[in-house]
Amino acid sequence: MNGFASTKHTARAQRNNKIATIGFYTLGALVMLLIFWLLFTILSKGLPALRPDFLIKQPEEIDAGGGIGPVLFNSFYILFISLFISVPIGLGAGIYMAEYAPDNKFTGALRICVESLSSVPSIVFGMLGLAIFAEYFDIGLTILGGGVSLALLNLPMLARVTEEAVRAVPGEIREAGYALGMTKFHVIRTVVLPVAMSAIVTGICLVAGRAFGESAVIILTAGLSTSGEMWDFNLFSPGETLAVHLWYVQSEAIVEDARQIADKSAAVLVFVVLFINFVFRFPLWLSNRRKGH
Amino acid sequence: MGAPVQGLATRGKESVTQVSANPKRHGRHLFSNKLFKFYFLFSILALCFVLGLVILFIGKTAMLLFGQLSPADFFFSFNWTPEEDSFGAAAFIVNTLSLTALTLLIAVPISVGMAVLCAEIAPKWMKTFIRPVLDLLVGIPSIVYGYIGLTVLLPFLRRISGESLGDGLLAAALVLALMVLPTICRISDDAIVSVPRKYRDAAYALGSTRLQVIMRVVLPAASRGIISAVILGMTRAVGETMAVVMVIGNTPQLAKTLFTPASVLTSNIVMQISNVEFDSTWNYALHMMAFLLLVISFVLILIIRVLGRKRRDAA
Amino acid sequence: MKIFKKLTVTALTAVIAVTASFAGVAAAADSLKGKITVNGSTALLPLTLQAAKEFQKLHPKVKIAASGKGSVTGPQAVKKGIADIGACDWDASIDVPGFKAFDGQVANKVAVIPFATIVNKNVGVDNLTTEQLKGIFAGKITNWKEVGGADADIVVITRSFGSGTRVNYQAKALDGGDIVKKAKNYKETGSSGDMKTAVGTTPNSIGYIDLVYVSGDVKAVKHNGIAATTDNVINGSYKIWAYGYYMTKGQPTGATKEFIEYVQSKKFQQGSLKKLKFIPIAAMKG
Repeated sequence: MNGFASTKHTARAQRNNKIATIGFYTLGALVMLLIFWLLFTILSKGLPALRPDFLIKQPEEIDAGGGIGPVLFNSFYILFISLFISVPIGLGAGIYMAEYAPDNKFTGALRICVESLSSVPSIVFGMLGLAIFAEYFDIGLTILGGGVSLALLNLPMLARVTEEAVRAVPGEIREAGYALGMTKFHVIRTVVLPVAMSAIVTGICLVAGRAFGESAVIILTAGLSTSGEMWDFNLFSPGETLAVHLWYVQSEAIVEDARQIADKSAAVLVFVVLFINFVFRFPLWLSNRRKGH
Repeated sequence: MGAPVQGLATRGKESVTQVSANPKRHGRHLFSNKLFKFYFLFSILALCFVLGLVILFIGKTAMLLFGQLSPADFFFSFNWTPEEDSFGAAAFIVNTLSLTALTLLIAVPISVGMAVLCAEIAPKWMKTFIRPVLDLLVGIPSIVYGYIGLTVLLPFLRRISGESLGDGLLAAALVLALMVLPTICRISDDAIVSVPRKYRDAAYALGSTRLQVIMRVVLPAASRGIISAVILGMTRAVGETMAVVMVIGNTPQLAKTLFTPASVLTSNIVMQISNVEFDSTWNYALHMMAFLLLVISFVLILIIRVLGRKRRDAA
Repeated sequence: MKIFKKLTVTALTAVIAVTASFAGVAAAADSLKGKITVNGSTALLPLTLQAAKEFQKLHPKVKIAASGKGSVTGPQAVKKGIADIGACDWDASIDVPGFKAFDGQVANKVAVIPFATIVNKNVGVDNLTTEQLKGIFAGKITNWKEVGGADADIVVITRSFGSGTRVNYQAKALDGGDIVKKAKNYKETGSSGDMKTAVGTTPNSIGYIDLVYVSGDVKAVKHNGIAATTDNVINGSYKIWAYGYYMTKGQPTGATKEFIEYVQSKKFQQGSLKKLKFIPIAAMKG
């Protein structure tokens, strides 16, 4: 940090500061505008016509008026399964990389490998899931297959975000913990994780949002049909999710109100992801308030 | 996030100073320490297993390619005409690199700028407003981005460029930039926020303006996290398929202009992999392209990290 | 009042008893059980899903899972054992340009699919001959004024390799002619819906699609003077159509056989299939 020697209270520095501030605010305004326009486009096409029973009815092939009931349920179910698998493993791996792994070339290479894995197109994970579940275990198109494949897709990002979040915790508070005689895990649990939690939750939200909107993997591993019942907890039934249904309605469906169903589904999807974000962030916000931020 | 430290001494179920005083609890701590160490080890091994599985899965079929085609033909030929047994992937490789570069060029300044805005400049009410809105962007599924790209972005690009078909690298880069914006922005945001306050305080105490503090102190300190954010965003962009496929044109030719319909490694794989026979050279070639994606990512990440480390060492 | 109440109760009980006995009879009939996985053509997917829905209502113990990613995945999945039925837009048990035959598989006809050439609604041309179509899709005719339209570049939109729609269109409308691969105004889409959106939003564009999807911003052009309607397909004057098949490994058995027979049954063909705007197999003469 060698910029200090030349720090001057010059008029130029002040002017640059002001210009930059205006620049940042303009950028923010433009981006916000863009996002709002985007959301408005999606929601305005879908929300006005949305009725509560759309969320519960079965999809229709021939007649207009189909709903998204079973697929909405499947979306949540598969999301839950994939998070249930990917969060513990991803968090664990990230913590290991940050706290326990030696700082040598091998770890560095491993880190880059994990990051490269995030760039594998989702369809490859779909094919992997197909090879594992449909070919090797021979159970066909199932919710379990979809959930696991989705978990594999999200694992790298979770691990990396966790690792970075844990690394960002200042070394001093860790050392304070050790100085008091705490075991390593105790330090992690009570000192490091709470500080890193906000960033980890960001990672989980990003991953959950991606999982909810993912279609290629699910098409290949869980299929394009549902078992037809609304609250089907059977892990081995076919599991079309909302995102897949959206793809189907947009690409192949013949029913007359296909476009409207697509718009409504998109609106519902966006809503749900917002809701998931809220659910994850609310406890954090509460505990921050309590700590007196 | 330096503030939580004050609360730590009194948080938790027991006061920290009493850790060693109680032998039973201490024993419990030692046990859970060992237990969780195994759990963390298990997690990383599981992750490595998944890595290995994916690489094996793609690589196994990909390697079969070179039994039927020479590497030179695959990597250096620009002619991709599988129906005539011509499997040159050079056009896709170049296009992928161009698209990634273009996407990052658009996305990184905007994302990091937004992150700085959120973390440093904006007042509290704005922060609590902007962050959830950015999170919303993540929730939009890729197919919806593709559809909006097709129905709104393409006609717009057609109008301002005069082309008949607006598809191409620019359209795809714009859509991808929008898709990776929340990833890079939010993770950079977290990285910037976690820079300890005392760094900033020291700089202000020495009389810096806010801009100087941001540019000379905070960003370099957070550079590690920002680089991770950029890498994650980049890999997401490289691997994104559904949206790109709708606005890039899917023509197996080299993109010489921003508006030529083209194809990248990912879009080509997605469009064709479901439709080819398992035991054909075409299938092997597509798997090799997926493997290539892994390798290209690896190399790009390596380059970014090395450059980042050099900058930080110099700073 | 009491008598009225007694009467109502007796009547209700009688009604319930009678309906229950009917239900009992129906329940006894569907002891058919099994699991069927269908994979393959996306064009046939709406048909499969509707048939699956109806079939599962009749036989609750049968579970049908369907997916679709392109015609060739159907017979491929059957060959690998991942699926019981491979929906395909062509007969995969014989050689077809671009695809080798899948040995040992049996093709079961299930529907007739009509196809149409579509153009954006701003295009003034409404009839194209086979020669003109060949020239346009091969990239030799590049301006609409060469075929009687306005002076504008033709934008060609096509489906990707492996699409049943493309295979059939190439064979029937282009008479086996080539489709251009690298050009300036050329684009590939991955599904019928994307094709429809692309042609609908791109001025001066031309593409091809199942007749079922034609509506709104795209219009179908006549082929050699014949309009693209289901009647013209049935009477044989409009030639761009194909059979849809369910491929199975050998002759179908068990639940799979029942399902295919249901789809081929008169009730389904003349009912739901027609409502989905496919054409029943029986309607084709010869």
